[in-house]
Amino acid sequence: MFQYVVRRILQSLPILFIVLTLVFVVVRILPGDPAVAALGDYASKEAVSALREKMGLNAPLWVQYFRFLGDLCRGNLGTSIITGYPVGAQLLKVLPYTLELTFCAIFIGFLFGIPLGIPAAVRRNSLIDYFNRVFSLMGLSIPAFYLGILLMLVFSIKLRLFPVVGGGDLSSLSSNLRHLFLPALSLGLIMTAYVTRMTRSSVLNILREDYVRTARSKGISERTVLLKHALRNALIPIVALGGVYAVVLVGSSVMTEIVFSRPGLGSLMVGAIKQRDYTTLQSVMVFYSFIVVILNLMTDLIYGLIDPRIQYR
Amino acid sequence: MRKKRFLYLMLASLFVGVLVFDVGTAQQLAKEQALTIAFDAGDVATLDPHRSATTVDRATVDMIFNGLVRYPPGDQVKVEPDLATSWRVSPDGRVWTFTLRRGVFFHPYPGNPTGYELTSEDVLYSLKRAADSKRSSYAGEYSGISFEAVDPYTVRITIDKPISDTLFLAKFASYAGGMVVCRKAIEEKGDEWFKTNPVGTGPFRFESYEPRQKTVLAANPRYFRKAPILKQVVVRYMPAVSSRELGLQTGELQIIEGLKEDKWVEKIASLPDVTVKSFGPCESQVFHFNMTQPPFSDIRVRKAVSYAISREGIAAFMGKGLAVPIYSPTQAPPAPGALTKEEAMKAGVVYEDNIAEAKRLLTEAGYPNGFKTEVIISEMASSYQKPMVAIQAQLKKAGIDMALKVVDHSSFHSLIRKDASPIVYYAAWRPNVDAFLTRFYHSDSTVVSGKKPDTNFSHYGAVDANGDGKIDSIDELIEKARWELDAKKQMALWKEAQIKLLSDVAVVPIIRLKYAFPQKSSVDLGHPLEFSWATYSPQITEETRILAK
Repeated sequence: MFQYVVRRILQSLPILFIVLTLVFVVVRILPGDPAVAALGDYASKEAVSALREKMGLNAPLWVQYFRFLGDLCRGNLGTSIITGYPVGAQLLKVLPYTLELTFCAIFIGFLFGIPLGIPAAVRRNSLIDYFNRVFSLMGLSIPAFYLGILLMLVFSIKLRLFPVVGGGDLSSLSSNLRHLFLPALSLGLIMTAYVTRMTRSSVLNILREDYVRTARSKGISERTVLLKHALRNALIPIVALGGVYAVVLVGSSVMTEIVFSRPGLGSLMVGAIKQRDYTTLQSVMVFYSFIVVILNLMTDLIYGLIDPRIQYR
Repeated sequence: MRKKRFLYLMLASLFVGVLVFDVGTAQQLAKEQALTIAFDAGDVATLDPHRSATTVDRATVDMIFNGLVRYPPGDQVKVEPDLATSWRVSPDGRVWTFTLRRGVFFHPYPGNPTGYELTSEDVLYSLKRAADSKRSSYAGEYSGISFEAVDPYTVRITIDKPISDTLFLAKFASYAGGMVVCRKAIEEKGDEWFKTNPVGTGPFRFESYEPRQKTVLAANPRYFRKAPILKQVVVRYMPAVSSRELGLQTGELQIIEGLKEDKWVEKIASLPDVTVKSFGPCESQVFHFNMTQPPFSDIRVRKAVSYAISREGIAAFMGKGLAVPIYSPTQAPPAPGALTKEEAMKAGVVYEDNIAEAKRLLTEAGYPNGFKTEVIISEMASSYQKPMVAIQAQLKKAGIDMALKVVDHSSFHSLIRKDASPIVYYAAWRPNVDAFLTRFYHSDSTVVSGKKPDTNFSHYGAVDANGDGKIDSIDELIEKARWELDAKKQMALWKEAQIKLLSDVAVVPIIRLKYAFPQKSSVDLGHPLEFSWATYSPQITEETRILAK
């Protein structure tokens, strides 16, 4: 399995290389000058030109590209061309916030999505099924940031239970959890909708399988048939799509982080785009790609745990 | 005797009454003197005052640094001592001598935990730095000026050619290049470090910075005016307006950057414990024609466009609580030297709100059915998109089909400096009329082709604007006004230059838009909020405090 993991990571390197090349080119194709963004419209042309030189933007593109690749290979993500702050330090500072948000949302999604999806499949076209379908549809349609605002209005403005600004102090569990609850819930509810829908259709398919009928004919209780025979097999597509949705979730977290003013990769990326902070933007994008690769790998590894027929070669 | 007793009794009652009244009305301070202000910004760009330009950066450095002189908080014109206690000028107006305040200390910084006393060496270093284009965005302001330290508490500044007090002192006020930075900190740590670790002498000292999140400032107990009442100021970067609004409602934020929209301001002002006061300086929103590109090279077409525009209509569309029509192509009144509506009317250079005349001029110019044009504008809603949508609708009535190509703000600045748009709608504030005229209308500042390309989008001074076969320019007027020492004559020259610009219809001034920073009612800024040198946000000073509910 270790060899498999290493091989998968190595296989993903060309993908990462293509992504970072694309990112490097795209951010430079965008009109807009980081020096003007940094100095504002009041700055004279000489000041802008001097800053561009200092930022290393007057060098030919290929020189900038190889400089960027070289730094990356040495594990040096460089410094923000706007603030001069080390990009690596910025990433490390905000990463825990994005990770806790994403994993809590995934956790909430599976925690509620699977128990909600199973009865909907078992009692197809019943009231509970209709409720679940409406809930899933709403969850799939509503943008995470909008749901976030609604949650803030209820839990923060009306009930005064949770703060709306910042990510809290990571060293204080209570502060951290209070700041995490609403953003995780807003993303988690959307994830729940995805998982509920997937669980319903997957369990429905499995319940029609011959081995389920056989199990029932043997006189095994419906509960055992459902949990032992049907659910375990139904989990494979749920986990597969769960992995895909987790990737979508990483993207959705961008807006959620902004709405809740949380530190995170999302707010780092949006700020970098606005300021044309090439170095920060490149590094964040590469990091995002890396997270996607890791999430896909984790999904593949979880397959094996659920389905013993799957072997890693 | 009775009379005396009565008098004593009356005086005693008065004294007790005053005492009781005073105790009753004295405002109690809140226990926690910490203020959080949130801005519509993704992050800091730089906290180096010689580089800072964005709203949030200027607001932050305003709390950290001082200049030789300053404009008292809330005042646009009056100058008073800051780091200098007094100054005198030589009879020929060239040599200015500033006496520094004693006992002013720089904030502590890593490697210097107690800070150190400010002397003329620091002021000298700071001014030379502000004049260096490689280290300052405001270097142009200091050309032709030399600096010397006479003794530890005296600085002498010599200018090649004397200028008026208004223009001279503005260069050394606690704004932009005039802010005095900590010499030793920069020499020890470097310019790059200083960008996110500013060290000054102001009421608040830098404490920490979290990228894309916040900058924390702490009270400077040794501030030379007095120890600030607030113990901490947190500057938060929050680009989503809904989040700022909710944060204000929950009380996590005390002041927020608002939208420049009447309806939004009305809505937020109706919330309990929230007050909103609009204030300046206002950015002048001006419509610049690129006079090198047809059809705008023809003055009749430009005049037709101007006639098709209704400033009042645009102000009404934007909301009259914040938008005010302007007739000056530079700063808006009451700034000294700005052209008022009455003066523009008297000079006969107000061409507006007359569709019939616009159509007649278009027909005369050979466009009886109007014409099509595409204009690049910034994504920013209140300063660019919204007013331009209103203008687009007004021009349509005259048969002019103006398509708007919306790009992000950074791209906008880049493209308009490459002459990529036939019309540039630009919102700006500059500290005085001279800076406005020089940077927007002097031939040297013409985009792409000028000697020092800057923001002369109309190419005024490089083209024949009125069709008489001669190049039209206000270069001479700008320079004459700059060296004029008599304030009245200087203003007259500035106004003459503005009238010339308007009569040639190089530009159409549209509106100015006030700022709105909703705040908790418990926040007392400590000064009247009419104008802020911060520049686009309320100033937070040593007198700012939070009152108990």
